[in-house]
Parts: sequence; C-alpha cells; structure tokens
Amino acid sequence: MNELEDRLIDCFQAVLPKIGREELRQVSMKSTSEWDSVVTVTLISLIEETFGVETQPGDIERLTSFKSIHDYLQRNKQL
Amino acid sequence: MSVIEMQPVTVAPEDRPMKLIEALKIVNAPPQQAAQHEDVFIVCGFTPLHLQTFLEAHLLLRSPDRRVRVNSGLYGDVAGNLERAAAAAPDAVAVVLEWPDFDPRLGVRTAGSAALSRDELRESIYSQMDRFQKIIDERLAETTLALSLPSLPARHSCIQQSWLADPVNATLRRCFADFSLWASERKNIRLLNADRLDQLSPPNARWDAGAELATGFPYHLNHTSILADLLSRLIRLPLPKKGLITDLDDTLWRGIVGEAGVDGISWTLDRHTHHHALYQQQLSVLAHAGVFVAVASKNDPSVIREAFARPDLLLDVNHIFPLEVSWGPKSVAVGRILQTWNVGPDSIVFVDDSPMELAEVQAAFPGIQCLLFPKNDPQACLGLLDRLRDLFGKRFISEEDALRTNSLRAQPALSTDFLETAEAEITFSAVKNSSDSRPFELINKTNQFNLNGRRFTDSEWLHYLQDPETHLLSATYRDKYGALGKIAVLGARQSHDKFFIDVWVMSCRAFSRRIEHQCLLRLFKAHGVDEISFDFRRTPRNNPIQEFFAGLVGENPEGPLTLTLAQFEQRCPRLFHTVKDG
Repeated sequence: MNELEDRLIDCFQAVLPKIGREELRQVSMKSTSEWDSVVTVTLISLIEETFGVETQPGDIERLTSFKSIHDYLQRNKQL
Repeated sequence: MSVIEMQPVTVAPEDRPMKLIEALKIVNAPPQQAAQHEDVFIVCGFTPLHLQTFLEAHLLLRSPDRRVRVNSGLYGDVAGNLERAAAAAPDAVAVVLEWPDFDPRLGVRTAGSAALSRDELRESIYSQMDRFQKIIDERLAETTLALSLPSLPARHSCIQQSWLADPVNATLRRCFADFSLWASERKNIRLLNADRLDQLSPPNARWDAGAELATGFPYHLNHTSILADLLSRLIRLPLPKKGLITDLDDTLWRGIVGEAGVDGISWTLDRHTHHHALYQQQLSVLAHAGVFVAVASKNDPSVIREAFARPDLLLDVNHIFPLEVSWGPKSVAVGRILQTWNVGPDSIVFVDDSPMELAEVQAAFPGIQCLLFPKNDPQACLGLLDRLRDLFGKRFISEEDALRTNSLRAQPALSTDFLETAEAEITFSAVKNSSDSRPFELINKTNQFNLNGRRFTDSEWLHYLQDPETHLLSATYRDKYGALGKIAVLGARQSHDKFFIDVWVMSCRAFSRRIEHQCLLRLFKAHGVDEISFDFRRTPRNNPIQEFFAGLVGENPEGPLTLTLAQFEQRCPRLFHTVKDG
C-alpha cells in the first residue's frame, strides 16, 4: 500500500467508520448504503484538506468510489 | 522547558485550528462507559455540515467524560429552528446567524432582486431581528444560548464602489450593534466577541463561495473550526484560575530595584516601559474581581517595601497577599503562597521574565501555568494580558469575589478559644434560586471539601434546582474579623426519615471553623431525620472532607456512607456560631 492510498483510507475511515480498512478500497456510492450526499461533501472537504487539491463543482459527480478518487488524486495531487 | 510557554499566545490558547479529519476521529471515537449525555442544538440558516462536526468535537474535547449529541434544524429557517430547539429542550443552543437569515437578498443563493434601498432593508432586517428575539425571550429564556452574529459580509448588488460605505452597510452595522446590545443584556445568552473572532480568523479567509453555492455551507474549514471552538467555550465556560503569582523586577516594573534604586524602576511612556503599567493595571482589575495576587521576588524586603510606597504604582499593595520577598528559590516562595491561599497548583498562574525561574517553579509544581513576561516586546505583552483575561475571566463578579482577599488576610489561628470569641454567625438559606450563580460556581470550582467531585453543566444545575425532590442548603459566614460570604452549599434528597446528600462543597477559606458540623446539625434538626446518607466518593483532591468524615465515623470512608444522629452527637465538637435563617 502506498502513502497516498494509506492517507485516502484514513479519509474514508473518518466518514465511513463502520467499514473495515481493507473493505474501504472496494467501496462506492452505489454499493454502500451509508454513503449519502453528506458523506460525499465531507469526503471532498477531507480530500482537499489532506492532499491540498481543489476540486471543481463538476468533479463531485465523478468522485463516487474509492477507485475514482484514488485515480483523481494520482492525476491531480500536489506533492 | 517544553512545558513553558516562552512566547505568550497572542491569538488563541490552541496552536492551530483543528483539522476536519481530527474532528471526525474525535466524534467517531467510542464514548466512555457511563458517560452522561449532553444535547446541543445548532440553530442556523445554512447547512450546518462541518460546523456540526467541529462543534461536537470541540465540546467532546472540553468534557471527555460526556457523550455529546449535536442536532440541527432545517435549511433557511432560523425562526423555525429556534422553535425546534425550544421544543427539543437541549442542554444548550448554539445560534449562528448570517445576513441572509435577516434578508435572503443579502446572500449569494438568491438572485433577481433590484438594488436594495436602506429604508426597505431596515424594515426587513429589524422585523426579522424582532422575530428572533421574541422567540428567544419567550421560548429559550431558561436555556444556555451561545450566539454568533454575522461573521461574513453581506453580499448585495449595488452601484457604489466596494471601498465606499453605502447606506445599506451602515444599516447592517447598526443592526449588528443593536442585536449585540440586546443579547449582552440577557443572562442566558453568551455572545461571541466579534473582535476576538477577527483576531483568530481573518475576515477575508472565512467565506468559501464555491462550497456555499454547491452545498449551502458557507465557511472555509479553518473558520469553521475556530468558530466552533469559540462556541464550545461559550457553552462550556472554562473554570477561571484562582490566583496569580508575579515577579517584580523586569515584570511588575522595568529595572532591578536593588541596583537601580526605587526611583530607577519605571512603568511610563517616556521611558518606553509603559507595558509594565498595563500589566499592573490588569493585575489591579483581577484583584478587584477576587483573584488572589501574590509576589514571589528575590530581593531585599526593605527595598521592596520602599518600592511599594511609590504613589504612582497602579497596583495597590493592599491587593497583594502574601508578599514573598527573599533570596531563596522561587519554588519555595511559591510553595508558601499556595499554603497561605490553601489552593492547588493547577488553579495558579506564575508570571516571571526569567525562563530559568519559570523552569524552576514548573519543575516543583507541574500543575502551575507558567507564563513568560516578555519585557522587551510590548506587542507580546498585550498578548499576555489577553491571555490573563482568558485564564481568569468570569461573566459576573459576585459579592464573595470582593471579600476573598480580605478574608485571607484576616485569617487568624483557629483554636477553640478563638472560635469561642470570634462572634461567628452562620446564615442558612434553603431557597433554590436559579438566578443566584454562587452555588453553581462554588460546586464547579471546589476541589478539597467536595463530597464527590461532581460537576454540573448550566442545564444540569437548572434541572437539579427544578427537581421538586431536591433540597438546597447554602451557608453564609461572618465573624468579628470580617465576612466570608456564601461559602458552603449542600444538595440533598429526602425520603421518609432519611436524607441523602449528593452534593456538598465548602470553600477552602472557611476551613477549621466547624461550619461543616453546623451544616449537618442544621439538617438533622430542621428535617427531623435520624440518619443522613452521603454519596461520598474519593477524588485525588478531597482529603479535607475525607478527614472530616473520619473524625465522625472513626475511619476513612471508601465510598457512600451513612451517619446517624447518635454518631454525630457523640463526636461533634462544641459549636459557637449564632445561627440565622436567610
């Protein structure tokens, strides 16, 4: 597991605390009943805070799974 | 040295705002077993989102022994949310207002209106303000309410350049001032100081336009965290420190009096030492409010007596007690002061310009808060004064605050002979008066003569008083040497011929006067009971009450205990007080 993935799991765990760390890599809005619009907004704020990225309003609709956010961060994060 | 704050904090006790991920971790952590619940309701017109999370996290940090639940209402309906808060009967309410709550045209989520006229706007916002105030007065007058008035600028389309104040701006400022004045006169409302918020959270870094348009939440995370932190402090007012011990040379005044002489020390503008005068002034304000002020100085006592005779000193020497001046270690002087005051180190602040002296005292008394006096930095000195205000501040000054220092000074040796001739008078009151804040204050700050260490929130105390099964007894003491004020509070429940005491505290200034015996005698006689049960629990600091019980029942108590009238009469010493009803 790389550092980005590890920190992203921390973010997911903060908003979806009942899901185990290993399972979090597989979660998506569609497959997880706890993942509602409040979770999305909180997750986006956490990602901006943790990785120093600035998402655009249009990004939110695409960032609906662990994998999509992971890929987005690999493309955009400031190292 | 790491425990000493070398730089007085100029903005906040915390180093930085809490991060959202930290707040979520605090909120998600499993609560302690048997933690008491506390409900707080956020009233706002925007989506509370992260403010709700941060407020819950900051409240949990302030009281880790409680479970906190923060609830909220509906978007865009402040008046309705105030009603909902009243119906939910929470322990406290946090009201966070922004300009769109007064008129939606003052925000960015409403468009299509023409330029606002001052008269139309005034009517609109004052009518909304009246509506909020009416609901608060009628439905929430008994609830602790933390109030934040608009922290973001109003946004409205107008023709004037942005640097030119227009009549609409002036109207909004007046509304803000009127609302502030109204709120500051309400006992249940704790109004957030907008100047303090400006210091901690720069106004131009608060608004997150993108988030407000996308989600309805208007704040950047840092502002949210700072706002929530301050609201949590308003809801849970920190207990003030009790005493301040100050150094003299290069602290209370500039210069080394033993070398420069009494005329060589200064605190004036023309000698660029005026920040020492401001420090003296702050100590004088604290002393008038009942804070103990003492001196620990390495000096020749005769020189210091001469220095304190200077008429331009802003701190009255009569407000300083005791004056510990010697060539011994500062920690020894501090130890003697603590003994005289009869208070624990964690209630004390020590101020000195020498990092070495601070370290020496800190090593001897880890609980003392040691603060460096920044003698060469007037800006940092003003930060220190703000810090002292936060550490010792209280909302109201009671009668007892004014009596405190004098009663210490008048403390004589308390032998039986003395007690017999002291002309002591105890006035008992059984009135449960929620507007008297003294019993609440005494219960929440007394450590030594404290039955079980139980603390109350404002709402818990109100519920305790409103419970028809509870009795409250408070004792006010005076003798021929002076008055101590209200110094003991006892809370009990009665069932048939038994009394069950679950709250009992007595000020450390009242020790050794047998007031505690008189309290029990009063209960036995006034209520005609044969037994009194005590919800006693040991705490790290309540040795004095443990010793009191050991004297009555013959052994150190381990937990709840019962005392019979026969036991009490057998072991109660002679009492000399005149007892009155208040």
